[in-house]
Amino acid sequence: MAKFILKRLLFLPFVMLGVTALLFAALQFLSPEMRASLYIKDPRQLSALESVIEKYGLRKPLPVQYGIWLKQVIKGDLGYSETAKMPVAEAVKAFFPATLELTVAAFFPILILGVYFGTLSAVYKDKWLDHVTRFVAITGYSLPSFVLGLLLLMIFYGKLQWFPPGRYSLDVDLLTHSEAFGHYTGLLTLDCILNGQWKALGDVLKHLVLPACTLTYISVALLLRITRSSMLEELGKDYIRTAKAKGLPGNVIVKKHALRNTLIPVVTLSSLLFINLLGGVVITETVFDYPGIGRWGVVAAQQLDIAGVLGSTLLAATLFVLANLVSDILYAVVDPRIRVG
Amino acid sequence: MKKRLLAITAILSLGAGTGSATTHPDTFTYATISDADTLDPAWAYDTASHSIMLNIYEPLFFFDKSSTEKLVPLTAAKIPTRENGGISADGKVYRIPIRKGVKFHDGTPMTPEDVRYSIIRFLLLDRAAGPSSLLLEPILGTPTTRDEKGALKPDIFKAAEKAVRVEGDVLVLTLPQPYAPLLSILASWGPVLSKAWAVKRGDWDGAEASLPALNNLKKESSAFFESSNGTGPFKLERWDRKTKEVILARNDGYWKGPAKLKRVIIKGINEVGTRKLMLQAGDVDSVYADRSVYSQFQNLPGVQILDGQATMEINPIAFFTFQVSAAGNPYLGSGKLDGQGIPADFFSDIDVRKGFAYAFDYDGYIKDVFGGKGVRARGAIPKSLPGYNPKQAIYSLDLGKAKEHFQKAWGGKVWSEGFRFTLVFNSGNSARQNLCQIMKRMIESVNPKFTVDVRAVEWPTFLDAITSSKLPIFVMGWNADYPDPHNFAFPLLHTHGDFPGRQKFSNPEFDKIIEAANRETNLAKRKQLYAKLQQLEYEFVPHMVFVEQYRYRTQRNWVKGWYHNPVFPDSPYGGYYYPISKQ
Repeated sequence: MAKFILKRLLFLPFVMLGVTALLFAALQFLSPEMRASLYIKDPRQLSALESVIEKYGLRKPLPVQYGIWLKQVIKGDLGYSETAKMPVAEAVKAFFPATLELTVAAFFPILILGVYFGTLSAVYKDKWLDHVTRFVAITGYSLPSFVLGLLLLMIFYGKLQWFPPGRYSLDVDLLTHSEAFGHYTGLLTLDCILNGQWKALGDVLKHLVLPACTLTYISVALLLRITRSSMLEELGKDYIRTAKAKGLPGNVIVKKHALRNTLIPVVTLSSLLFINLLGGVVITETVFDYPGIGRWGVVAAQQLDIAGVLGSTLLAATLFVLANLVSDILYAVVDPRIRVG
Repeated sequence: MKKRLLAITAILSLGAGTGSATTHPDTFTYATISDADTLDPAWAYDTASHSIMLNIYEPLFFFDKSSTEKLVPLTAAKIPTRENGGISADGKVYRIPIRKGVKFHDGTPMTPEDVRYSIIRFLLLDRAAGPSSLLLEPILGTPTTRDEKGALKPDIFKAAEKAVRVEGDVLVLTLPQPYAPLLSILASWGPVLSKAWAVKRGDWDGAEASLPALNNLKKESSAFFESSNGTGPFKLERWDRKTKEVILARNDGYWKGPAKLKRVIIKGINEVGTRKLMLQAGDVDSVYADRSVYSQFQNLPGVQILDGQATMEINPIAFFTFQVSAAGNPYLGSGKLDGQGIPADFFSDIDVRKGFAYAFDYDGYIKDVFGGKGVRARGAIPKSLPGYNPKQAIYSLDLGKAKEHFQKAWGGKVWSEGFRFTLVFNSGNSARQNLCQIMKRMIESVNPKFTVDVRAVEWPTFLDAITSSKLPIFVMGWNADYPDPHNFAFPLLHTHGDFPGRQKFSNPEFDKIIEAANRETNLAKRKQLYAKLQQLEYEFVPHMVFVEQYRYRTQRNWVKGWYHNPVFPDSPYGGYYYPISKQ
C-alpha cells in the first residue's frame, strides 16, 4: 500500500506541472499589457506598464515566460486581486477556510444520505421508497442552486427567521474579532470548539444550515443514483445468489457483501463530488452572502479581475489533483485488486 | 417520531427572531451596496467613504440639523463673522478660535496645531482628481499643487504655511481674495486628524522636505487608509474588506457627550433581496434602496418609508471619457474602429457624444425607473441652487438626429464600421443599471453594427477604473460638498475639476466663466454667468444629465432621531449616527 501511495505521490508534481501549463496557455490569450496589469495595484502605475512587462518578461519566448511565471506561482506571487483588494495568495488564505467549512458541512450529509438512500432504493426497487428517492433525486438535480437558495432563504429566514444569511451573527462577529478568541484553523466551527465557545458554535452552525442544505439537496441526487445502480448490479451477481442460497439474512448480504463492492464507484465519485461542491459554492455563497472563495470568484469573474479568477482556478485545479489522489488511495483500500494491478 | 419532530421544531423556534423587536438596541446596522474606498479624509472623495468618516472625524463647523445654510461650531469654538471680528473687513482673513477640552479617540488632547496640520495636509496631499481643490481654491487661490507637467509647485508649501497659521488658540486663514462659501466648505472638509498619531505611523511629519512623499500619495500608503484617530462621536473598530463591513464603536470621551448608540455597523450586501429580508427580520435597521426597487419595500410590517427627501445632486450623470487609458484595458474591445472595439479617443468627436445624447429616452427613464419622482436635470447646476436655468435647452429622444450625428462622426467610419465597448456601472445600483440597459437598447437600435456590453463592478473597483480613465463612459452622480453652484460647475466642467480630470478634457471657455462666476459677488451677474456656462455645456456635451430625483429612506420603526440633510454624503440612506437611537 505504501508503495502504491508513494508512486501516486511521485506523479503529483507532473500532474501539477500539466495543470499550470494549461493555465499558462490560457493566459496567452491576453495581451502582454493585460497580463502586466495583473501585477498592478495602483491605477497610477499603469504608466509604468512597460517596466512591469520587462520585469516579468512578458514579451520573452513562451518557454522562458513559463519558467518565470512558474517561479512566481511557486513563490505565491499570483498578482493583485482588484476585487478582494489584496494579493491573490492573501485572498485565497482569507476566503478558503469559509468555503472549506461549508463544503465539508455539505459533503458528509451527501455521503451519508446518498449511500443510505441509494442502497435502500436498490433493495426496495420499484417500491414506494424507491419512487420517493427517485423523485427527490430528479428534482434536486434539475433545480438551479440559486432558485433553491433563494427559496430556502425566503422560507427559513424571511418567514420563519430560523436560519439567517452570512457567516455569523453580530455577537459572534464581535467575539471572533476580539483578542480573547484564538484563530487556530480559520475554520470557525473548529475554532469555536477549541476556544470552548459553544454558543458561538451554535450560531455558526445555524448560519451553515441553509447553504449546506442547498448544496446537499442539489448534489445528493448523483450519488444516490450511482449507489442505487451499483447496488442493483451487485445484487444481481452470482456470489449474492450463492449467499442467498446459503440462507444468509438479507441485511447481512447487503451490508457485508454487496455494499463493499458497491462503494468502489461511489468512492471515485465522492472525491469528484467534493470538487464539484467547491465549484457549486460559487452561486450558493453569493445568494447567502457567505464570504468564501466562491463569492470572491463570482465577483472576480464579473469584473474581469483576471488575477482573482486565475488564483481561484489554480486553487480548484490543485484541489482537484489532490482529491483524485485521495480517491485513488481510497479506491485501493476498498478494492485490493487495484494495488496488485 | 412525531414527538421528536415537534421537539426539533420547538428548539428551532426558540432561536428564531420575530423581527418585531430589536435584538441589539444599542447597535445600528445599515446594509448598503458600496464598500469604502479609503478612510483618509484628504484622499476620499466618494459618498461611501465620506459617510463613514462623517462619524469619525470632525470639521471646524457643521450644518445645523437639516439646514444647508445655518452653521454651528464643532471643532471651532464659534462661527467667525464680520460682526464678531472673526472675518476681516476685506473678507480675506478668518480668525477661528479652536475649541478646548476636545480629545482624540486615543485620549490625547486635540490642539490648534492639529487643526493647522490637518488643513495643510488636506491641501497638500492633493491626489489626482481628489477633494483638495475644495480648499486649495479659496485658501491658496489655485485648484492644484502641481504645474502643467505634473511637478509639485516649488513655493506651494510656503504658501500653505503662510495662509494657514495658529496664533495662540486661534486658527488664522489668510485668503488671496474673499471667498463666500469658505465656511460651508469647512463644514464638511478638512476635518481634524492627530498629527502625533500620524507621524508615529510614518505619515507626513508636516515638513517641507517630506512633502513629495505626501503629494498625490498612493491610497494604501496613507496611515489613515484603514486606521483612524479623530475626535468624532464614533471611532473605527474595524474595516473588514473581506466581509465588506465597517464597525464603528462609540467614543465615550466625545466632547458633546457619548452617542446613544454603542456601535454602528455598515455592511456591504449587493443582493437587494437579501437586504430586504434582513430588514424584514430586524437584523439591519436601514438599507440602501433606490427608486427602482421602491415597491419591494412598501407595506413591510415594522418598516417605515420616509419619502420625498429632496436632494442637492445631479445623479446619475453619464460621463464621456475623451481619452481612455488604453493599456491593459478590457473595456475598449479591439481598441480600433473596426466594429469590434473603439479607439481610445472615440468620445473626443462631438458627433459621437451628440449621437449618444439624442439616443436616450429621458422621460421614459424618469417615469419607469423613478416612478415619476423626479424632474429632468437641465445641466450641471441643480434646481435648488442659484444659477439654475429653468429655460435651458435639453436633449430629448430623437433617433433621427442621433443617426445624423453618428453618420457624421469620425468621417462616417462610425456608421459604416460600427463599434463595440463595455458600459460599466457600480453593482447594486439599480437606477444606474437601468440607465445602462436603456442606453444599450437605444444605441443598438440606431444601427445594428453598434454594440454596447453592460457590466457591473464593485464600488472600489469602479472608482479605480474611473480614476485611471479606463472607462469609455462611466455613470456616476454628483452630490453637493457644500451648497453653492461653484461646487457643481467646478468639479463637472473645470479643467482641474474632479470629472474633467478623469474624462481628460479641457475647455478654456468653461474655465474662464467658472472662475469669473466664483469671483463675482453680484448674484444677478453670477446667475448670468452660470446660464452662459450651461448653454456651452449643452453645446459641448461633455456628459449627459438625466434627472433630479426625490429619494426615500427605508428603516425600522424603532429607529429614532434620524434627520436628512442633502449635503450629508449618502443621505437619506446612511448618514450621521450621533443623534440616532433605537426604541
